[in-house]
Parts: sequence; C-alpha cells; structure tokens
Amino acid sequence: MELTYSAATKKPGKIWLLNFAVSILLLNYILSASPASAEIPGRIISLAPNITEILFAIGLDNRIVGVTNFCDYPEEAKRKPKVGGMSTPSLEAVVSLKPCIVVMTTDGNPKEFEQRLRSLKIKTYIFRARTLTELPQGVRDMGLELGAKEKADTLARKIETAINNPPTPPFTKGGRGGITEASQKKRVLFIIWPEPLIVAGPGTVIDDAISILGLENAAYRSKVSYPKYSIEEIIRQSPDIIFIGKGHENIKEVSKRLLKKIATVPAVKKGNVFYLSDTLYRLGPRVINGIEEMAGCLK
Amino acid sequence: MSKIKFLFLISVLVITFSVSLFLGPRIINPFELNGTDKEILLMIRLPRVIVATLMGMALGASGAVLQGILRNPLADPYILGISSGSALAATLGLLSGMYMFSNFSIPLTAFIGASIVSILVGLFGWKKGGLWPGRLLLAGIGLSFLFYAILMLIISISANEVTRRALLWIFGDLSIAEWSLIPYGFLFILAGLYICISRAKALNALMLGDDFAHSLGFSVHRERLLLFASVAIMTSASVSLGGTIGFIGLIIPHIVRFLAGADNKKLIPLSALCGGAFLCIADMIGRTIMSPAEIPSGIITAIIGSPYFLYLLRKKDVLST
Repeated sequence: MELTYSAATKKPGKIWLLNFAVSILLLNYILSASPASAEIPGRIISLAPNITEILFAIGLDNRIVGVTNFCDYPEEAKRKPKVGGMSTPSLEAVVSLKPCIVVMTTDGNPKEFEQRLRSLKIKTYIFRARTLTELPQGVRDMGLELGAKEKADTLARKIETAINNPPTPPFTKGGRGGITEASQKKRVLFIIWPEPLIVAGPGTVIDDAISILGLENAAYRSKVSYPKYSIEEIIRQSPDIIFIGKGHENIKEVSKRLLKKIATVPAVKKGNVFYLSDTLYRLGPRVINGIEEMAGCLK
Repeated sequence: MSKIKFLFLISVLVITFSVSLFLGPRIINPFELNGTDKEILLMIRLPRVIVATLMGMALGASGAVLQGILRNPLADPYILGISSGSALAATLGLLSGMYMFSNFSIPLTAFIGASIVSILVGLFGWKKGGLWPGRLLLAGIGLSFLFYAILMLIISISANEVTRRALLWIFGDLSIAEWSLIPYGFLFILAGLYICISRAKALNALMLGDDFAHSLGFSVHRERLLLFASVAIMTSASVSLGGTIGFIGLIIPHIVRFLAGADNKKLIPLSALCGGAFLCIADMIGRTIMSPAEIPSGIITAIIGSPYFLYLLRKKDVLST
C-alpha cells in the first residue's frame, strides 16, 4: 500500500520521510502513553492525614513510604517514616525517601512545595476534593492515578451511600410536614475546642455532615471555616444540640467552664451535649463513621 | 485646669466602659432587656469588660512606672519577660494536665510563672545592694528571648490542641473572662496601683538621676525595688487574667504625657484610666468587626499601637534624650 502510493507520486523519497516521521510520532505517543496508565507508582509519600487514611483504605499501605507527623490513623500510619508537618514538610526528608509520587492536598500543603518537588523532577498528585460531596470523585481520581482503581471505586461508592442515604435522625422526623421545613431544622453547634472557643463553621466536613443529617449549623454566619467564636452569639443562636470534638482525653473537664457559661441554651438545659470522636475532622474514609456517630447521638 | 482634664478622663473611662458593655456583636438596649440580653450582659459582657478595664489599667500604669525606672521611653511591661514567662508556665501547665484540678489552675500557673520571671529579672538586675535600670532591661530582654524560644520549641513539637491554648497566652484572649477570677485580679492590681501611685514622687526624683534622688532624701534602691515590685504584681495579675496584650503599656503612657505632662503623680493614675478605656474599646472592636468570629484584642491593640510606635520612633526628641 505504501509502496504503491509512493510509486504513484512523483517524489517518493519525501513521502517516505513523512511516513517515517508520522510513525515515529505514533510510536512515541504509544510509548509515552502506555507507561502512565500501566506503570504503578511504587513509592508513595502522603502529605496529609486524610490522604494517608484514604491510601490505607484503598489498600496501598505497602507502597506508602512517607507520611506527615500528623498522620496518626490507622495505627500503622504512625510507623511510617515521617517527612514533617503538613505546612512544613521537609524537602530533604521527601527527596531522601525517593518517592515515585508525592500526593498533596490543596487544603494545607504549601503550593511552593509542589513547585519545588516538580523542579526536582519528583512527580506530584494533587488531591482537590474539599467537601463531602466532592470526596467520592476525589477518591476515584486518586485511585486511578495510583493504580488502585477498583478499591477506590468501592470506597467511593460506600461514601456515596452514606451521603445519599443518611440515617434520618428522629429529631427532624417528627417536625416535617406542617410548618416550613427551615423552621423545623434543629440548630447544631460543633465545638472543636472550648477554650479558646473554636467551632466548625461553613466549608468544613462537619458542616457538610450537619446539613446531610437535615440539621442546621448554628455557626452558619461565620466567614471563616474554624472561627474563634463569640460566646454571646451561642446564647443568641441557642443551639438545640451541641457536639464537642474529643480533641483531648480530658475534654469534659476542659469544656466545663464553657458549658457553665452557656447553661441556659436549650442544648445544655436538655442535656443534648454530645462528645464526638475526631472522625469528621478529616475528609477521609472515616467520614462514614462520623455521620453514623452524629446520627447515633440524636436517637 | 488639670482637675477638669482629670474629670474629663474619668468620664471618658465611664463612657467607654458602658459603650463596650452595650455594643458588641449585637447592640443591647439597656432599657429593653429581655432574658437573653440580660444573661449575655451579666454573665458574659460584664466580667469581660471588667477584666479588660483591670488589665488595661494594670498595663497602662506598669508601662508608665517602667518607662520611669528604666529611664527608657520604649519600655513596656512585657520587656521584662513577664509575658513570655507566664505563657511558658501556662503552656507547661496545659501539657502536664494541670487544668484538671480546678478552673484556677491555669491562671494560677500563669501568675506563678510571671512571678518567678519577675524575681529572676530582679536577681539579674541586682548588683551592689540595688536594682540597676540597664541591668534590669537587659536581663528582661535576655530572659524574654530564652522563654519565647522554649515556648516556640514546645509549640512546634506538640499537638494542635496545646498550641491553640498556648496561643491564647501569647495573643491574649479576654473571652475566658468570668466572675471567679475577678476579685483576685482586682486585689493584686489595686495593690500594685496603690504602691506605685504612693511612690510617684520618688519616681519623679529617680527619673532625674540616682544622685539627685539621693540628695532629695529618697532611698534610691528601696524605692526602685518597691516600684519594680508593683510593676511585677500588676503585670503578672493582668497576664493571668487574659494573657498577653501588647502595646497598651507602651503607647498609653506616651499619649498621657502629651496630654497631661510627665509628672508621675498624674501620669500613673491617668495612664491607668486611659489604659483601661483603650483595652475596653479594643476588645469591643475585636469581638464586633468579624462577628460572630472574634479577633483577639492583643491583635487589635497591636494594629492600632504599632503605627503609633513607629511614629514615636520617628520623632527625634523621643530617642535622643
């Protein structure tokens, strides 16, 4: 075919050259495309605790060669080599672990660090999910990149199920119907730390979980994700339920003073103050348990 | 004339006190109080405004006294390392789980830390039977750097929660104000104020030089020790009430000097009044502008204070004297 074509033209030499060039390009394309999807990065460094949790959940534990100082879940994560904090990872530590890929997040890792890694020819992958609804797709994309497509897909589907079919808390069940739904929504305040008072505002996983359960975040007016909150605003917004994150073993002792100050709000008066684990602090696989735990308190 | 100015300043303090009581994230109308308003007013705002006033008074007066005994216009109560010492003590207290015992433990730890640092600075500043201004200043700066370095070391290697609480002692946080601590703070600060106001005459003489003070019949070392002790008591009490709040001790005495002259008999009480008023206003701004979030008042005072500090630095007559 090629021969007849070149025979038919008046300048066979040039056509041959063109064909050669095209085939080289094609070959080059095939060669460059196939390793990207076929070659699985063997040595992974995670620069965020939630990413570490996802990597463990999609069965990549053996390939993780480095994590941050804050990666404390699951237990095995603590035994992985440390590369520094989320905002202050050590470039030397990362480079010396000879990673095939460094997984980073837009939520807490410095952008400059990614640029420096790239300038050192170290491959990076950026996990971009920031909300609960973005999480399943984020897990899928990351799984695809790291060669764990199936397990990532399974985890993503589990999270989707938890988000789309939340256990309806009885708190909102009874009220639906008669009056408008907005006025029926119970107000919830999630206290991250009582002193100084830090609460979960909009744009946090906790806020997402609260709205998934059909509740309303009392700190919805905040412009910051984790504001240092005004105590008198709590009294004014009079939340029906207060969750306090177990950031510390003795959290009950630490919160005593605050609870005394806001003793008149409905949540404290009716005893609807619950201590929750830290499962909703991170956008990772444990959010499923977090939503369940939160719903469980409302029974 | 000066009496009118004094009355004017007292009324300014009363007005700022009530303004910061009724203004805030939401305005409370004192004539139409509902249950929630009343509760917020009595349980949250009133203790907070009182603490702000007390701290501001302590810091303003301490600054005025310290600028006098150190003969340095840039001295501020924290230059003696009291803030870093108490912050370090409070952080160590938090780490060791001290807060378990009672509500008082952390403010108490902060107070003890501040007192220990004051004594240390006093010891380093002591030579030949008395305190020497230059030695005090350098000892304070040296210890301050050391304690901050240790504090930063602890913060950089410890968990997030401790860091958050430690920051409270560095930036100052009046939201922890509550009634139970006020009587103690009041007592200490009042005692400090009493000592330094009663020694104001001696401070006037000390500022003119040790020889001059001696020739006027003052026991130089005794007076300096008393004045230093009053500063230490007031600053330690204020730190344990609500952490470190910068710039009040530095700028308020200077403003008062412009208004009422450098006579310490007026300067110290007026600096106390203005300091109290300034911190009330700064705290009110801090809890209002970003509502429902709060900005620590130490940040507000620094934002207002730093430009003024730089302005003072530019003025020739401040540093060349």
